Amino acid sequence: MATLIGCQGCDMLVDLTAMPEGGRANCPRCGHFLARYRSDAVARALAYCISAAIALVIANCFAFLTMGAAGLQTTMTLPETAIMLYRYGMPDLAILVGGFILVLPALALTLIMAICVPLTLGYAAPWLVDSARVLYTLNEWSMVEVFLIGVIVSLVKLSQMAEVQLGYSFWAYVAFSVFFTLAVSTLDRFHCWQRIEAVQLS
Amino acid sequence: MNPAATAAARGLASCHLCCKLVAADVAHCPRCGAHMHQRKVDSLQRTLALLVTASVLYIPANIYPIMITDQFGTSIESTIIGGVVLLINLGSWPIALVIFVASVMVPLSKFFALYYLAWSVHRQPASGNRQRTLLYTLTELIGKWSMVDVFVVAILVALVHLGGLLVIRPGIAAVSFAGVVIVTMLAAHSFDPRLLWDKEEQNNG
Repeated sequence: MATLIGCQGCDMLVDLTAMPEGGRANCPRCGHFLARYRSDAVARALAYCISAAIALVIANCFAFLTMGAAGLQTTMTLPETAIMLYRYGMPDLAILVGGFILVLPALALTLIMAICVPLTLGYAAPWLVDSARVLYTLNEWSMVEVFLIGVIVSLVKLSQMAEVQLGYSFWAYVAFSVFFTLAVSTLDRFHCWQRIEAVQLS
Repeated sequence: MNPAATAAARGLASCHLCCKLVAADVAHCPRCGAHMHQRKVDSLQRTLALLVTASVLYIPANIYPIMITDQFGTSIESTIIGGVVLLINLGSWPIALVIFVASVMVPLSKFFALYYLAWSVHRQPASGNRQRTLLYTLTELIGKWSMVDVFVVAILVALVHLGGLLVIRPGIAAVSFAGVVIVTMLAAHSFDPRLLWDKEEQNNG
């Protein structure tokens, strides 16, 4: 019973008892993704998460893009993407953009740490269940990689009218997006909840 | 396919949040505390309501400017389609294609895919549900990529403010379009692909 999963795509019951190391399981009936397994997933997720957190801090400290045209120069930082929208009278859009690219990813990193550290230590922390609930509810709303494509499109749009330089923060955000994606995908939903249950019962 | 192989056939429900299988009559998941239900609640009604909302929002998103460029004292308002045309004129075909796919193709395909899936549940198909589930998975996966255009506006607005020379301001369509993306994501989230398979089982068994 404990290793059975009900497919979210078609409700088929699938036994995930003998998943190979590094393996990925899809539903045999509908093909929907079920779970991926690594015995050291929690430690890996924690490592990716710490790397991502460092990169995110750096990404907020320096210039993201610098533009020069006709002898004038402007610089933007990462939080300014949201702040400037607010100054132009669009607080709703500012909250959405800031939320999708900074606040939700930062929250996800905090929650992954709050889950992975107690699980590594085998400590049944009282916040485990709530952290995982929030993490798996909000996960799909992080748009880190979409934002990066947005940056590339912006660069092309601007290349005709001005000289644009990439700042340290841009590269830090690229690193952040890689580590963030790895951290989130490594901490598999099915197995993470099983670990949480196991540590609470022990 | 053996009909007893589904969770519902065995009187079980799987938690949407933590994947735990529990008896179908339990109200709250014993592991994570989430509200339990065998199928997403009012799935079709919610999906269709959100789809209609998104379809309505899609109109202002396309007729109003998403971004306003003030250059040497003149204002140029550009819509989503206008932005694509501008990029083609600049010779940036690949980027024009990215924006066209993300801002026009993806939202429209999502509308059609979800309307079609909702209609499929109603029509009770006997086969082809593997493809339909794949279509649903793709719909969920591509949802957030439509936000690219909104992020482009946010970046350009934050970066381009050279006094009276060149300033880029956000247009009202940016808010509408962000609304379209969020509401279609919620619509995809409300749809329950298991409903397709339930009908298939009823029809075969």
